[in-house]
Amino acid sequence: MQMFFLQLLNGLQLSMLIFLLAAGLTLIFGLMDILNLAHGAFFTMGAYAGWFVSKSTGSFWAALLIGPLVPFLIGALLQAAVLQPLVRRGRSTHLDLALLTFGLLFATAGTVEYFFGSSFYSIPVPAILSGHVAVLGVDYPLYRLFVIGAGLAVALVLSLVIDRTPIGAILRAGVDNREMVTALGININLVFAVVFGVGAALAGFAGVIAAPIMSVYSQMGIAIVVTTFVVVVVGGLGNLKGSFYGALFVGMTDTMAQAYLPDAELFAIYVLLVAMMIFRPQGLFGSTGRTA
Amino acid sequence: MSALEIRKLTKAYGGLEVIAGLDLTVPEGQRRAVIGPNGAGKTTLFNLITGWLPPTSGQILLHGVPVRKGRPDLVTRSGLSRSFQKNMLLENVTVLENLRIACQAFHPSRHSILRPAASFPEVVGKARRVSEQMHLDKCLHREVKELSYGQKRQLEVAIALCAEPKILLMDEPAAGTSPGERVNLIRLINELPANLTIVLVEHDMDVVFAICDVITVLSYGKVLATGPKEAIQADAEVIEAYLGRQHA
Amino acid sequence: MTERLTMDATNLAGRTPRSITVLRRRSYVAVICAIALLLLPFLSGDYVLTLAIEVMIAGVFASGLNVLIGYTGLASAGHAMFYGLGGYGIGIGTAIFGWPLWVTVPATLACIALISTVVGAICTRTRGVEFLLITLAFSQMFFGAAVKLRLTNGTDGMAGIPRPDLSSLGVSADDPVVFYYYVACVAALAFVVLALIVRSPFGSVLIAIRESERRAQAMGYAVGAYKIGAFGISGVVCSLAGVLQAQYIYFINPDSMSWQSSGEGILMVIIGGTGAILGPFVGAAVFVLVKQGLSLVTGEYNLFFGIFFMLVVAFFRGGVAGTFRTLTGRWR
Repeated sequence: MQMFFLQLLNGLQLSMLIFLLAAGLTLIFGLMDILNLAHGAFFTMGAYAGWFVSKSTGSFWAALLIGPLVPFLIGALLQAAVLQPLVRRGRSTHLDLALLTFGLLFATAGTVEYFFGSSFYSIPVPAILSGHVAVLGVDYPLYRLFVIGAGLAVALVLSLVIDRTPIGAILRAGVDNREMVTALGININLVFAVVFGVGAALAGFAGVIAAPIMSVYSQMGIAIVVTTFVVVVVGGLGNLKGSFYGALFVGMTDTMAQAYLPDAELFAIYVLLVAMMIFRPQGLFGSTGRTA
Repeated sequence: MSALEIRKLTKAYGGLEVIAGLDLTVPEGQRRAVIGPNGAGKTTLFNLITGWLPPTSGQILLHGVPVRKGRPDLVTRSGLSRSFQKNMLLENVTVLENLRIACQAFHPSRHSILRPAASFPEVVGKARRVSEQMHLDKCLHREVKELSYGQKRQLEVAIALCAEPKILLMDEPAAGTSPGERVNLIRLINELPANLTIVLVEHDMDVVFAICDVITVLSYGKVLATGPKEAIQADAEVIEAYLGRQHA
Repeated sequence: MTERLTMDATNLAGRTPRSITVLRRRSYVAVICAIALLLLPFLSGDYVLTLAIEVMIAGVFASGLNVLIGYTGLASAGHAMFYGLGGYGIGIGTAIFGWPLWVTVPATLACIALISTVVGAICTRTRGVEFLLITLAFSQMFFGAAVKLRLTNGTDGMAGIPRPDLSSLGVSADDPVVFYYYVACVAALAFVVLALIVRSPFGSVLIAIRESERRAQAMGYAVGAYKIGAFGISGVVCSLAGVLQAQYIYFINPDSMSWQSSGEGILMVIIGGTGAILGPFVGAAVFVLVKQGLSLVTGEYNLFFGIFFMLVVAFFRGGVAGTFRTLTGRWR
């Protein structure tokens, strides 16, 4: 039973990490119809940036604050300088852009390898968050609880911003009807760039908080991003709520499978994906009739 | 037996009833127009009849046989064909090829995977005949994207005809066409075989009066009135809801 | 004269008289290419031969992928899974079951046909971007299985993949020239079969699906079945390329089914797109040459390949979708 609660918490922690990635991806897709296949690169970027800050300042919190800024800036720049001009030039089908980011995936994988090689780095857990806490009868690392808390906090903030603030209203309007929002005098390009940046920053934030748990290495984005893709498809592309529940679903499945059925671990999330595709291809919260 | 019979059809999106208990019967060979203000549910009705949308409740019968939900291809195979409001053509392919593929759908050769498509002259021949019927035979070898809008609308109807339907649904065939193209279209539609049942959604009342005998008026997802054109033109309710003073 | 051309045109549905001339010109080109292919070993050295072999194998892979991407309009980001499975099929069949090649190859292709049909049946329930993602996810699943499976030595891969035993013909497939002709024969066969398929009624329905799936369905076609068929066919052809590749380097490992491998296939299809059947081979040729060139110049393959990929997608005629759509009736 203790084992079960341990796995439950681990699953929750993994889910939150994946949620941060999925949220960024789905936010970008929902608003701009861009599926950034290279999203994992922002995760990696955030982790490396955080490591660098942590190494220079010795502060985890500085890393947490500053680390995500790097993917934010790069993401916003990418959107404003590369993707938006292409959209304006008519290369705007989702497929075009998704394939473009596929190329970006190659390029970023290459860049990261070039600059950082294949060494493993780590960010140490800050003193405040080290140690264990008794939760559900389990001695659980405090830091992992922090990760869970951070994920839930972000989920809350995001849903509040999107549902309750004027910015959120602009976002939701923009998802529905881009031209109309522009016609209302809102600088939609700025909004897009910022949202892209925020999506990237979320991934970067995930990278920083993941760093003390998993190492920082050049391939770290790749593995987790495929799981993220499974989550966004399961949750319904473009749907933030779907990403949250999808992340929970997938994260739990993966962790439980890893614990109780280690041989099937690999297949667990794909079985989930397949089942979803058979019974509900639009995902948990997706809408039918989406065109390519 | 009527060609098309709809009983108490409802389509609801959450609380919004786009189609609210609609009854409609079209006898064989009739030319029926379905008119109504925007949002009355005309295209939704077509989507329901052709199997693109599942109804919330109610029945749709084609020659007495219920429509298979979610399988527009089977609906076409059972004798009901449709042309769309927004052109849905194979743009990068020639006119002849568009028609040939449409005709091929009912030919056993459609399962053939190694023999060239061109080696089935019956299919090509049928495509040519339809093109002549719709006066498209002069532009058979041009790619669809090079056609004028009026020609594309003609092709849109022609493709629907390739299915040799017993019932033809046309969704605003004259939409966006020039007056000359419209006259042409009217003539072509009136030249179609008399035993073909036609249901036409149109906003252009000239087209409606030139083609149709009976008019059904929809409003808010329900039938407001059905009757011969003279009666509809004179119906006070209809005039109030839709037609406007010029046709009164 | 015009009359005769027009009458010829009536026998070839959808072809303009102008395109008949184009077709004739292309037949001459094809014949010249065939002759060049035949004579290549006598005209050049081993290095060119190895390049030619790589181009042909890549061409088969790209051709298989093109059936799905170019003709049906379904962009799969995971088709390298079939490429890799083909190679692994041979490896498992010969090394683990001990079957001779003439049993293993058909068995592999049959298995792949089944797998790709099942995977296709699941994936084709989605479109566009979701389709891209789900195919990617499937390929990652197979990739992961290949990495973890101790049976196939995980990341170390399987060595000793055998080439066909041609001793009855008095030659050895280990000889580069002999292997070259073997690959050329297989590639030509694949080419011919694919050419027949895309010109067939089945192929025309795939094109209709690409242009407007809803319209194809409204015409009365059970489009789901056609999409699965296209997926299955492309899977088998891609696996054939994988078989050839494994035999070429006597080796197979999980990298052959990586997302990078899938990406390379997509790029080849995009580059070569406008040429229809020959297009993928053209794309393969460009790709192989660029890759060779890149590897001579820099060690940073991924980075430059990625930039190249993005440039092609961004600037290639009409964008990616436009490139796919230039596979018009004229060029069939």
